[in-house]
Amino acid sequence: MAEKRVIIKATRFDPDRDEAPRVQSYDIPFADESMVVLDALNYIKAHVDGSLSYRWSCRMGICGSCGMMVNGTPKLTCNAFLRDYWPRPIVVEPLRNFPVIRDLVIDMDDFMHKLKSIQPWIIRKQELPLGAGEHRQTTAQVDEYRQFSQCINCMLCYAACPVYGLNNEFLGPAATALARRYNLDSRDEGLKLRLPVIASSEGIWECSFVGECSVVCPKGVDPAKAIQQTKLDTTMRFVLPYGNRE
Amino acid sequence: MSAGEAPVQTATRTYRPSMGMGWWLRKGHYFWYVVREFTALPLALWLLWFLVEIKRAGGGAAGYSPHGSTAFVVFSAVCLLFALYHSITFLSLAGVIIHVKVLERPVSSRLIVASQFGLWAVASIVIGAVLIGFGR
Repeated sequence: MAEKRVIIKATRFDPDRDEAPRVQSYDIPFADESMVVLDALNYIKAHVDGSLSYRWSCRMGICGSCGMMVNGTPKLTCNAFLRDYWPRPIVVEPLRNFPVIRDLVIDMDDFMHKLKSIQPWIIRKQELPLGAGEHRQTTAQVDEYRQFSQCINCMLCYAACPVYGLNNEFLGPAATALARRYNLDSRDEGLKLRLPVIASSEGIWECSFVGECSVVCPKGVDPAKAIQQTKLDTTMRFVLPYGNRE
Repeated sequence: MSAGEAPVQTATRTYRPSMGMGWWLRKGHYFWYVVREFTALPLALWLLWFLVEIKRAGGGAAGYSPHGSTAFVVFSAVCLLFALYHSITFLSLAGVIIHVKVLERPVSSRLIVASQFGLWAVASIVIGAVLIGFGR
């Protein structure tokens, strides 16, 4: 029986030689039904073309490193099975809306800067001494923010967001979802420090609720929900008497 | 950095892709989003046209006859479809946006959406009744 094969069309870009990215096709064995797009890229790297560049790490949908466009949709390549695309060729491109450094590797500096700007850590007005014990939470208090804490910073939501594509000053889906995660945390007291960033004109108000960020999220986070709920909360703080109370 | 150490190499040039004019045709989700946003434009035009019709009414009841204009009736029917699409998509998303608790328990999204549609129906009936009442 003839060997089953699959065609991978990968974006190639060498900043020292190419003016713009180009596509290179690789015809490789599709040896195992459990193969994912990342396995195919690793096969190419190991056996066909060692110069192909891409990011990856955990291979199990945890680290968020291997996000790429697979047939036009942002995906974690470790979670995109070849069998779902075969026998069609699979087009693998770098995540959309980001500058391309080389081949399938994007420049994530802008995202990292935005992530840091919302101070995604627990902020206390006054730290308690270690001897005071833990900051205990009830299950209901954890449920308030649990969904938004599942974000792995894979940036698929930024690649899916046309608002970010048109205006990369926009704070974006994941950073806002993480801001909401901490603002909803009963242990956190940093809302007022985050508000100047999230409620700015390039923050939540730039979002026009396309909703594709929530569709592509591999961890079931709903960034569109986080953004719209934050819009409502900040409006209530402005409109209601004593709305600015902590 | 010691004397023999090479400076850290950073990427000198990146490729910045552009969105292109046809980005909204790439996916059905983007297309329907643009349709939803676009519906606001004919609704605004309809309101402007309606204001012109009201101004005509300043010359007396005989001057006010929007239903006498076929163009206005057709445009109104098209705008009604846009208004329904805009309202239904907007109200359907209310369950995502509104986060309400009753007795410390979150109210379900379905209930919130149902309440929004209920309020919409009540408001439509009240406004319709007022307009018909004044028209008599």
